[in-house]
Amino acid sequence: MQQNYEVAVIGAGHAGCEAANATAKMGFKTLLLTINFNNIAFMPCNPSIGGPGKGTLVREVDALGGLIGRNTDRCHLQMRALNTQKGPAVQALRAQADKQFYQQSMQNYLEVQPLITIRQGEVIALEQLTDHWRLTLSTGIRYEVGAVVIATGTFLRGQVHIGSLKFPSGPQGQHPAIAFGENLEAQGVKFKRFKTGTPARVRKRSLNFNAMVEQPGDRLDHGFSFWLPWEQREPVSCWLTYTNQKTHELIRKNLHLAPMYCGAITGTGTRYCPAIENKVVNFPQRERHQVFIEPEGLTTDEMYVAGLSSSLPEEIQDQFLRTVPGLEAVEIVRPGYAIEYDVIGPEQLLTSLQIRGWLGVFCAGQINGTSGYEEAAAQGIIAGINAGLYLRGETPFVLQRNEAYIGVLIDDLVTKENDEPYRIMTSRAEFRLSLRQDNADLRLTDYGHRFNLLSAEEYDRFQKKRENITKKMAFLADHHLSPGSAEAQRLQDKTGIKIQQKTSLKQLLRKPEMKTAELWALFAPEQGSPLEDEVVENQIKYEGYLDREAKMAARLAKMEEKKLPDDIDYNLVPNLSSEAREKLKRFQPETLGQAGRISGISPADLSTLLIWITRGKRDE
Amino acid sequence: MSETETIAAISTPPGEGGIGIIRISGDQALAVGAKILRQRSGNPVTTWPERKVRLGYVVTAEDDPIDEVIYFYFKKNRSYTGEDVLEIQGHGGYQNLKRILSTILQAGARAAEPGEFTQRAFLNGRLDLAQAEAVIDLIRSRTDLAQRIALNQLRGSLSGVIKEQEDKLLALLVPVEGALDFPEDEIPDLERSKAQKELQAIRSNVANLLAGAERGIILRDAATVVIAGRPNVGKSSLLNQLLGEERAIVTPIPGTTRDFVSEIIDLEGVPIRLVDTAGVRASVDPVEKAGVEKAYRLMAEADLILVIFDAATPLTTEDRELITFLAEKQPIIVLNKTDLPVKLPTSFFQTALPGAKIRSISALTGEGIPALKAEIRQAIMGTGGSEEQPVLVTRIRHQEALKEALGLLDLVAQGLEEQLSEDLLAVNLRAALEALGRITGRSVSDEIIKEIFSQFCIGK
Ligand SMILES: Cc1cc2nc3c(=O)[nH]c(=O)nc-3n(C[C@H](O)[C@H](O)[C@H](O)COP(=O)(O)OP(=O)(O)OC[C@H]3O[C@@H](n4cnc5c(N)ncnc54)[C@H](O)[C@@H]3O)c2cc1C
Ligand SMILES: Nc1nc2c(ncn2[C@@H]2O[C@H](COP(=O)(O)OP(=O)(O)OP(=O)(O)O)[C@@H](O)[C@H]2O)c(=O)[nH]1
Ligand SMILES: [Mg+2]
Repeated sequence: MQQNYEVAVIGAGHAGCEAANATAKMGFKTLLLTINFNNIAFMPCNPSIGGPGKGTLVREVDALGGLIGRNTDRCHLQMRALNTQKGPAVQALRAQADKQFYQQSMQNYLEVQPLITIRQGEVIALEQLTDHWRLTLSTGIRYEVGAVVIATGTFLRGQVHIGSLKFPSGPQGQHPAIAFGENLEAQGVKFKRFKTGTPARVRKRSLNFNAMVEQPGDRLDHGFSFWLPWEQREPVSCWLTYTNQKTHELIRKNLHLAPMYCGAITGTGTRYCPAIENKVVNFPQRERHQVFIEPEGLTTDEMYVAGLSSSLPEEIQDQFLRTVPGLEAVEIVRPGYAIEYDVIGPEQLLTSLQIRGWLGVFCAGQINGTSGYEEAAAQGIIAGINAGLYLRGETPFVLQRNEAYIGVLIDDLVTKENDEPYRIMTSRAEFRLSLRQDNADLRLTDYGHRFNLLSAEEYDRFQKKRENITKKMAFLADHHLSPGSAEAQRLQDKTGIKIQQKTSLKQLLRKPEMKTAELWALFAPEQGSPLEDEVVENQIKYEGYLDREAKMAARLAKMEEKKLPDDIDYNLVPNLSSEAREKLKRFQPETLGQAGRISGISPADLSTLLIWITRGKRDE
Repeated sequence: MSETETIAAISTPPGEGGIGIIRISGDQALAVGAKILRQRSGNPVTTWPERKVRLGYVVTAEDDPIDEVIYFYFKKNRSYTGEDVLEIQGHGGYQNLKRILSTILQAGARAAEPGEFTQRAFLNGRLDLAQAEAVIDLIRSRTDLAQRIALNQLRGSLSGVIKEQEDKLLALLVPVEGALDFPEDEIPDLERSKAQKELQAIRSNVANLLAGAERGIILRDAATVVIAGRPNVGKSSLLNQLLGEERAIVTPIPGTTRDFVSEIIDLEGVPIRLVDTAGVRASVDPVEKAGVEKAYRLMAEADLILVIFDAATPLTTEDRELITFLAEKQPIIVLNKTDLPVKLPTSFFQTALPGAKIRSISALTGEGIPALKAEIRQAIMGTGGSEEQPVLVTRIRHQEALKEALGLLDLVAQGLEEQLSEDLLAVNLRAALEALGRITGRSVSDEIIKEIFSQFCIGK
């Protein structure tokens, strides 16, 4: 039996769901495959979405027309605003999500789309036919498709470790994808091994919350999504407790049983999500570490123990959990574990997320060496869009580093040698003040509209918002207060600020203590809308910085426009330093700008390259 | 197309004749020109006829004239880079050109990176291929030299000081960045008063560097030329000749110079550290022995060696030993005392050190000195004219980088005082680090992330 689709998305995790949504919205008949139909958009780790950088990614995917923002708003148990005192560039939302509801709700978003067909089935082979691809499932079913998105997460040749116990497995006891990993490798894809881990889940009724500090959610007037109307729920709390010296001693005593320390695990782990074993070893001076107890959902008694990720034997996990205040009588529901899996190296990916040399095959999510739901979703939507553009015969969609965190993420993925799973951070972005969460729609929604990922009504709403912002900016620039005027007096009565010379409201807003809302109240009572004001205020208060970033971006733009053909033989380019030659051969950058970001490549190397490609053109 | 930054650089190699060219390229070229140029009458320049020679003055921000110059304007699409270009020809001395360039940078242009003019010309489709390749080869050889010089600097105390400031800045920045990215991970809050203190220490170090830059610039970038030879051949006499003053003691007694004597000279715009050494011979005198050892060490570290022989006396064993020692070092052979009857034929050296440059001089009369100077310059700088700013400008770029860093540190200091939000503090601190990184070649963005994870236990 054989069926045809225009696109197949292998994997219905956070990357795959976005990819399928994008291709379907672009009008392509899409097959979405998952190893287990019950686990669509499954969260194998922390039930938390957002945070600095990550929250901005969510907003960006949402602005493009993706699903992660809407779905998180729909399924959140609590929402917090982080870094509110630390400036607009790093402000972020973080949500706790109801895991089961998250999956059901995501499934629903996809199932209502007639162009998407979701199917349970394990792909075991992908093969190239003349101008399209054939997939084979373990049950023998075959599909022929024009384009493919591979979003297999941590499933490819997954290997789980709990103490000395190890067995092939996907996350949380799911079936691993062994055959598919072998099939791809046999066709020349080069994999390396990464590792990640997760803590035990525990039973709520076995915990003593009196010994912990309650962490309530914030009450906010908005969530992630630009499109979904925000509903403030009764927030469900998280709980904070701490490890102590007893916990650490127990772990130290049993280190030899940890697979990472006895050499059983060879994959590289993360620095930002370390097992408690690593924390105890790397920070011996610390007297305690935070432990957050987080709800996994409203309809389950399971709780997540953030901060105590471990792959020690279950018995030891049980012992050290009991040393933590509030967990003395803890009952484990599932033990923590570590998982190793296949990851595709940076030199095999193009910025379109296509595998180099595999026309029409794109990769997204954890398989590309990232970690995190947000990072996966961000790549998923881009891989989906590019699969669609490929089918239309159009050039790929590549976001630049100054346009979006998504651009930073993907550019880093293809130009940097990562030796651990990659997580987005605000410190990775050189255009931090331009890439804020409040202006993600202004940066990206035109693209989402171009690819038809947003409804007409949504795009109308966005245009209205953009117009309002422009109008408000103009009003603030044009409206002046003169010394001695009635308006100046009103300002002084209200704020104590005395107008000495003719001052525009815009200049006034530059004062750190000044808020847009206050100006509206005084001078234009009909204005309003906190989300618009947030943009206006940041745009004005940080104008100088934004100009600086814009200048820097303009400087990079020309280098970015200069494409490097993919058939350059770097051995023939004279005058390159040997380090540059070696790096260029390995990473095969797509633009001159990208080449410049690879470490070890000097401006003189770039000029040499520039001349070389120009000569190539003339010879033709 | 968005506006490009306006860049400026000295476009002639140092000391090439009496004229030096400075080019300004970019959308703001004329705006910058209007700020720094005055007509001969002293009035501001208001019209810019294309490709017409004009006479005028370059003035400082305070309207003090610096130099009488001629200038041309090349319109966008009809210039070397394809952008608006203003070309200013001033008097060729290094100090003078440097002052003009500084004024231009203050007026809003940025110092060009090596190769940047060529890059722009290329990106705008303005450069003939053969020409471009020649230029690039030249940038290469110059940047190689610059790199060699930079490497020497790395060993030097000056860049050591800059690195220290970088480390301190990094230490300030890492907890700030860490707390921004991981707000829930128990990273201690920024203590503004403590940070202010640390910042002020860094600031004053950077300010000191900058204050000393005028002098330090030459010291750091000068190539080292060592004068060596057996006693009494006329080394100290040559040093004095090149310097134009009686700096080193000259006597007819062999072994006069004991410790080395070092002076900076401006060799037609190329700064050179000239070192006179003790005459090389076997000696039992501990002071002289130490001096000879030092001489050998200086030769080993030199960018260029001038080995002196007395043309009026036959070759000695010491001379022969020196020739063997210098075989690999491509010295310039200087035959001195040619005012006296010559007993040493140049043909001998042609076989002993094949390919070596040989110059005959008299340190007494000054005969042959200009030719020797040219030979030294050539050995240090390589040949050829240039469209690109030579090594000299690198130093101005350093000065500019320090200035920029200082300005940013002041912004941080002010921000700490005025409760500026931490994301902006971080942005300015990072920019300051990047500015210093242009001197040391260090890129800190990966270091920041590495440091966050090694200093703080991240991961809830
Ligand atoms: C144990 C563990 C701990 C983690 N800890 C963290 C953490 O602390 N912080 C953090 O940010 N992130 C963490 N993550 C990562 C986060 O879960 C992932 O980054 C994210 O889920 C990746 O999304 P994805 O879409 O790439 O893959 P996944 O969500 O894993 O989805 C993969 C999909 O592919 C399907 N699939 C795989 N192979 C096949 C096949 N051959 N045929 C058909 N379907 C296939 C699967 O059924 C699944 O639907 C952890 C993950 C695990 C497993
Ligand atoms: N006639 C003549 N005499 C010279 C010339 N150069 C140097 N002398 C003389 O040679 C003697 C030695 O000169 P110095 O310059 O001291 O030689 P030096 O190599 O530095 O000697 P030490 O420091 O002792 O190694 C002095 O008497 C000089 O006047 C020259 O070109 N012609
Ligand atoms: Mg002497």
